[in-house]
Amino acid sequence: MRRVAVVGAGMTPFREHFGLGIKDLVPMAVSEMAAHVDKGLDRSDIEAAWFGELSTTDGFPSGILADTCGLLDIPVTRVENACATGNDAVRNATYAVGSGAVDVALVVGADKVRESSTRTTFWEWAGMTRDSAWDYPLGLIAPANFALHVARYLHESPATREHMAMVAVKNHRHALPNPKAQLRFEITIEQVLAAPTVVEPFGLLDCTPQSDGAAALLLVAEDVVDRYTDRPVWVRGVGLGLDRVMHQHKRDMTSFPPTVKAARAAYAMAGIGPSDIDVAEVHDCFSGVEMISYEDLGFAERFGAHKLLEAGETSIGGRLPVNPSGGLKAKGHPPGATGVAQCVELFEQLRGEAANQVDNARMGLAHNVGGPTAVSAVTVLGIGKD
Amino acid sequence: MSRLTAIGTVLPGWSDGKRRVVGLDEDAVTLGVAAARVVLEKAGTVPVDRVVFVSHDLPLLEGGNAAPLLAGIGLDESVVVVEQVGGAPAVLDAVAGALPGTLVIAADLLPAGAGAVLVGETGPELSVEGRVVRSMPTQSRAADGIVREYDDPRLLWEQGVRRSIEQLELTERPTVVAGLAAKQARQVCSGTPPELPVIGGAAAVFALAAIADPGGALVLAVEQANITAARVDGVPTVASVAPEVRPLPRTRTTPGPDIAISLAAYDRAFEPKLRWEAGSCDACGTLALPPRLRCLECGSEEGWSLVPLPRTGEVYTGVTVHVPVPGLPTPYSLVIVQLDDVDVRALVKVTGVEAGAMQIGDRGTLVFRRISTRTGIPDYGYAFLPEADVEAAQHREEASA
Repeated sequence: MRRVAVVGAGMTPFREHFGLGIKDLVPMAVSEMAAHVDKGLDRSDIEAAWFGELSTTDGFPSGILADTCGLLDIPVTRVENACATGNDAVRNATYAVGSGAVDVALVVGADKVRESSTRTTFWEWAGMTRDSAWDYPLGLIAPANFALHVARYLHESPATREHMAMVAVKNHRHALPNPKAQLRFEITIEQVLAAPTVVEPFGLLDCTPQSDGAAALLLVAEDVVDRYTDRPVWVRGVGLGLDRVMHQHKRDMTSFPPTVKAARAAYAMAGIGPSDIDVAEVHDCFSGVEMISYEDLGFAERFGAHKLLEAGETSIGGRLPVNPSGGLKAKGHPPGATGVAQCVELFEQLRGEAANQVDNARMGLAHNVGGPTAVSAVTVLGIGKD
Repeated sequence: MSRLTAIGTVLPGWSDGKRRVVGLDEDAVTLGVAAARVVLEKAGTVPVDRVVFVSHDLPLLEGGNAAPLLAGIGLDESVVVVEQVGGAPAVLDAVAGALPGTLVIAADLLPAGAGAVLVGETGPELSVEGRVVRSMPTQSRAADGIVREYDDPRLLWEQGVRRSIEQLELTERPTVVAGLAAKQARQVCSGTPPELPVIGGAAAVFALAAIADPGGALVLAVEQANITAARVDGVPTVASVAPEVRPLPRTRTTPGPDIAISLAAYDRAFEPKLRWEAGSCDACGTLALPPRLRCLECGSEEGWSLVPLPRTGEVYTGVTVHVPVPGLPTPYSLVIVQLDDVDVRALVKVTGVEAGAMQIGDRGTLVFRRISTRTGIPDYGYAFLPEADVEAAQHREEASA
């Protein structure tokens, strides 16, 4: 496979964009990406696009991308893989460029969660990912879906709700300097623990906000990379993992096997291990999920995630800063855009241009898990080609 | 004449401050199923080929409630079900006219309770002594479902109940009356009649269950000015479930869209979901809930057969949803239950206790409940009843003939 580089990245702010539709957000993200290609981008260079969008709010997704971005003469494929959608779009484009089918590929992710009323969203989104007869009527809303895992995790591991709160506090602090983040305010452990309960053991401040936004990346083949930049970031590894869909068929709910599989694939492709990662954007839709993911990604030993938090190792300045952007928790989570935006953050981190810069970051990892905890995608980006 | 082989009664554990009421996941069908299961467990293996279901609160008026009723009880789908709107006299009439092998079920919602009478070849005899049918609709409920009161209790008492009793020309006073308030029942009966927890159709079953005199009893069943009198010549075999009563937890209901239903998916899931059965792989015997084309273990796609699942288990993990969600009262608890003796887990709601009153490792039983109502369609299945509550429920007053 040919080496694949990221040469451009851009995103809209994540927030409640009541005034902007998906038809506005998608071209805004693409234009920002194009404006940040060091040597400029002629759109006619783009040969194909992959569009990660979980739920469509204004109609046919692929057509919307082509139409609103002036890309009517290239193939556009929509990718939908639950919360792993964004990183899976990156994976598909990587394969297309790597295979030699195209030299220049566009990856876009977008969603508009706040196009529905806050309450309607529960059923619209649950309807896409739940068994219609067995799970859906139980009221298995998204937080409950993850809380079933975290409740068991808290039961088996030494971790406590205070450790979960430390995740939320850290990611809010990380979001402060990030102009694209939705929740730019600091919170305290006491506030997290005292917040109204959403689904035990998650309080309101353990949860991601509902977000709108879009993000875009430009992926090019090694052969043409010099046309766009002298400072590319390389796609070192991609991976996707799946698991049984229904919770009762998951043997050990203290782990997300899809993450383990996706990470294994991405590390193997990159020829590295977890200790080689300098910065990570980890799926933290709910605080406890980031902790379980430390272990699934190999950042911590089993049931050892709380130690990383206690030692501050995953904060900026620590050994392995996680979610310097603020993560889903504070940057926001428009699902189709989330994974793509994680790679936007890593692109900036690895080039030393991030709003909340991690020192000497050379290798970064992006991770999503979802659908209901049955799919994960992992992308590894690096400064070095090999 | 018919024989009362066994009687089962069930009361829900909730109160609205004055009376027993159903929980949010119960209705006439779930109460009826509970009563039927109690009586069939008591009676052992007695064949049932006909069910009469009497209530003022039949959930579905079109299409009927027979399928969930039979599935919940565990009876074959070929069993005849007669659904009837009626009160205590209708229930006593149904019992009196039943052939052996008939299960008469009655369920009331306010106050709430249900009873079931298994008519068979054994047990005390019941025969009708008299019947009066007169119209005195002081409370009316027409097809619009709205209850209207004609506020004149003395008219009902003097011109309705008492005149109908006179017309019966009974030779003795009854020992128990179904369908009247306790104060009125005392005026009608000889001695002090047992106080019954309900006053609708189920009251007739509770009246039969209250017979304690080995010499038998004269039972009156009253609804407005309609009365049936029946004599029972012994003490029936009774099993009762009467949990301690607790205030119905306060919940919050949020306006918004209901959860949609796919009737195709509902139909595919119906048998295993309402009968609590798993698919057993025809090739290797691995159980799958829900049943699935491809075996979880061996990958066979050759087929599966439904087999009953254990109804006891232990909480593997659980959560309580507090955030308001449209169409569902909050808070509510969800658990994944590891079933006893099989390699099967189930994701179900918790019932019978306040939300959050369960934790990992708790034991309990799976009971038939209305999981949700989707676009007006009751959606039945199973919920987890934690054991602390099961123990309370098993304060069973048992008497045998």
